[in-house]
Amino acid sequence: MILEVTNLRKHYRQRAGIFPALRSRERFIPAVDGVSFCLEEHETVGLVGESGCGKTTIGRAILRLTPATSGRIVFDGHDITAMSARELRPLRSQMQMIFQDLDAALNPKMRVRAILAEAITTHHRLSDGEVARRIGELLEQVNLKASKLSNFPRELAGGEKRRVGIARALAVGAHFIVADEPTSALDVSIQAQVVNLLRDLQRQLGLSYLFISHDLEVVQLISRRVAVMYLGKIVEMGLADRIARAARHPYTHLLWSALVEGQSKEASHAPLNTRTGAWEPFDFERPVSGCRFAPRCPVYEARGRPAVCTDAATEPQLHDIGGRHYVACHFPV
Amino acid sequence: MKRYSQTTGEVGESSDLSPWKTADALDLVYVGYGLLIVVLVLVSYVLGAFTWLPYDPEQIRVDLLNAPPGSAGHLLGTDFLGRDILSRLIVGIQAYFLPGLLAIVISLLLGTTLGALASYRSGEVETLVTYFNNLIDSIPRLVLILLVIAAFKPGIYYIMVVVGVTGVPAVASLIAGKIGFLRQKNFIEAAHVLGLPSRVILLKHILWHHCMPLLVIQATIGMGEAILIETSLSYLGFGVQEPTPSWGNMVQAGANYFFQGKFWPSTAPALSILFTILGFHLLGDGLNGILEGSAGK
Amino acid sequence: MGAPLLEIENLRTYFHSRSKRAFIRAVDGVTMAIARGKTLSVVGESGSGKSVTALSIMGLLNAGPGVISGKIAFRTDGGERNLLHDLEHYVTLGEQDGRIMEVSKDEAGWRKQVERIMAEVRGKEIAMIFQNPKSALNPFVTVGHQITEAIRLHTPTKDPKEAKERSLDWLERVRMDSPRLRFDDYPYGLSGGMCQRAMIAMALSSEPALLIADEPTTGLDATIQAEIVGLLAELKSELGIATLLISHDIRVVSRLADAVAVMYGGTVVEYGPAPEILGARFGLKHPYTAALLASRPSAQNVEEKGGLPAIEGEVPDPIDVPRGCRFYARCNRVTEDIRDACARHEPALKELTPGHHVRCWLYGD
Repeated sequence: MILEVTNLRKHYRQRAGIFPALRSRERFIPAVDGVSFCLEEHETVGLVGESGCGKTTIGRAILRLTPATSGRIVFDGHDITAMSARELRPLRSQMQMIFQDLDAALNPKMRVRAILAEAITTHHRLSDGEVARRIGELLEQVNLKASKLSNFPRELAGGEKRRVGIARALAVGAHFIVADEPTSALDVSIQAQVVNLLRDLQRQLGLSYLFISHDLEVVQLISRRVAVMYLGKIVEMGLADRIARAARHPYTHLLWSALVEGQSKEASHAPLNTRTGAWEPFDFERPVSGCRFAPRCPVYEARGRPAVCTDAATEPQLHDIGGRHYVACHFPV
Repeated sequence: MKRYSQTTGEVGESSDLSPWKTADALDLVYVGYGLLIVVLVLVSYVLGAFTWLPYDPEQIRVDLLNAPPGSAGHLLGTDFLGRDILSRLIVGIQAYFLPGLLAIVISLLLGTTLGALASYRSGEVETLVTYFNNLIDSIPRLVLILLVIAAFKPGIYYIMVVVGVTGVPAVASLIAGKIGFLRQKNFIEAAHVLGLPSRVILLKHILWHHCMPLLVIQATIGMGEAILIETSLSYLGFGVQEPTPSWGNMVQAGANYFFQGKFWPSTAPALSILFTILGFHLLGDGLNGILEGSAGK
Repeated sequence: MGAPLLEIENLRTYFHSRSKRAFIRAVDGVTMAIARGKTLSVVGESGSGKSVTALSIMGLLNAGPGVISGKIAFRTDGGERNLLHDLEHYVTLGEQDGRIMEVSKDEAGWRKQVERIMAEVRGKEIAMIFQNPKSALNPFVTVGHQITEAIRLHTPTKDPKEAKERSLDWLERVRMDSPRLRFDDYPYGLSGGMCQRAMIAMALSSEPALLIADEPTTGLDATIQAEIVGLLAELKSELGIATLLISHDIRVVSRLADAVAVMYGGTVVEYGPAPEILGARFGLKHPYTAALLASRPSAQNVEEKGGLPAIEGEVPDPIDVPRGCRFYARCNRVTEDIRDACARHEPALKELTPGHHVRCWLYGD
């Protein structure tokens, strides 16, 4: 078990009112609200959901870019939830992140060579020759031309920038990588390249990935297990195949049927009626009690709005429905 | 009618042309002129320091009072005591050069430190720094200097310390703003994730890579301001005193004879002040245009 | 059938890079046509020139030199107009080796000319909706007011009360939830999907002959994308409006398009009826189209093939345009007998089957 997340919560406090000092009306925005999962070595776990579901926040919390409000994060046997920066430093070389934004992840004033050299020498003292050799190794691994070393990030194409980001993560020696939307900003023809590259690297170097994306198809291709998130909670989790072919949560069904092309070859379930009315942005002033998906849920409608779904005391929790397939729903499909 | 052209068919993978080659012609002119002034000032400073001057700046020539430019080998003429104006101009640089540098160093160092502190560790530190900034900002600079002079009658170096300190809020807020902007950028977060200590991130990634142009430009502006203050004070009689030359007191001395038709004793130093300060400001302006222009792509 | 509603001929839109002292050949000779009441979808990745094409039609380009050649015939009931009328009078081109190396353009004059032509067309006869609907709407004005304003500007309805009624009517037609409440909302209070619906209402309220949709679903959540695409499909059949849909998302295109034009490196490499272009007969396609369709995750079972069939290389650079076929460097179907032609000469569009054109040496000279 390389990563174990238990009951992770991240709340943002928003102070309302003109005089913050008077502490009038504080609101809590529960971006991540009690998420638990684990990741085994050499495994890829996919985290899928739409905007606002909290998947990016989880990735950032695991890497300690934002402090968790509560919960536990155990990486490689170390409890890193509240570790100080100094204690965390040596572990940083083990876990890295691929950022969503291609551009901002690379210092625009540094050439590629300098960016990679910095990553290499952060945790190890190496001679110039060794650094150059390591850079050459990295370029080969990510399939990047050596001529790109003297370029600035702004002179690189999208796919090339992505490769530099990946090379950087590898340069430190990380074996666990949080990939935050690694394909989203790329053209379709380049996305395939990056997906292939990530898979190859995993095989060659024994990497473990937390693959965060809103693209269900890509996630399903590259992950062994998939967790589907909705508004801060995991609503379904299981083997990628199961999530694709035999999803049980109504939201997962909605996601699959939203793939507009119609049935993909893998999906053999009939799409549910998705005319559930326009979707409203989550209004944190009036939090929904009970299941958060209820307002949009066709099953909820079809069953005459059962109270058990919206009662705070009986909020659906993840339970095992067989074969390590978990669903948080009272009426799984 | 706008004309665009391309010279070669194969553009290739080479890097973009450097910002110097694609800069606005006007910016290059500004920088060129500014650098010329800086070189002149430096040379004059050295000349003055080693007293390699055409004439002794304090030597009085009773027979050549207020002589016009060109008379008897005095390129710019003489002042009301027959002293060579050119030599006095050269020595006058001593009055503001080192003190000006002191002021710049103080405002840049202190300003950067405070700005970085305020921005990188928000909270009480930020509030304290903000209060300090507001305090300094709220007092008009020249008034403060005059008060200091009236109270302590200090030398020019002490005055420049005051100038430096009053220049801190400007630098601090610029730096704090820049840091605040950059902190959210992913490459700073990426540096954190890499395991780089905060200190390194701040110094290397933020200050060195992104703030250097800003600081250089602030330095040129600071120098211009220092010159202005020193010459103003000397003009008013509070700075450098006779017989030591300062451009400010030269203007003052020559002013009495201006309407007698002897305009060069005050015009020469006045124009020197003008063109020198202009030089520093244009240098800053031009550099800003060139360096920031390329960053905007 | 009749003549097409909008016909673009040999459109060229260039920009100029100061730092590289070279032309950015964003649109380099594009020809396409939109039939009345039909949806033409332009598919391509970044650098293909698809968005610039749309902006060229609407005369919304500010950077120089901009549009430098071409003809855009717009045929409505009021007659036929060339949206690039008299362009030759404002532009002089200098060629070298068959490539444009010098452009002189009276930009101020041309801008005045474009305004003269487009003032009546823009918003009224040709409407446009954009990517990122939240930022495309005016953040300081309520959504309802923006639609009302559009109505009063572009339709005979000038009375504010009447215009408001029509706005509400349109909000209902775009299936906006609680139209009367949303009318007084500002864009920041609405979700991306609702903003897009508002923008669609604004665009269609003047009942234009042509709607240009530039990546209307990009940036929206998957479930919302599906709703917007559904909405566009319904409106299409209700109003019979012709649409130019620009997208990189093949799923959206396959749901909405009647005809598809595939753009690569600033040119159209293939166009024809949607079922033929997007269908599974890879043998009769441009290699780029075939490779693009094959590299999508949904089309493959990855375990079997050990990896997605990706296209090697990067998307084309609009500055450094190669001599021969623009796709040559990345093409995996080059044969020895056409290799020379591919490397040296750009192929012309050839009609393979009626209505289906391909620009490739594989299909003859």
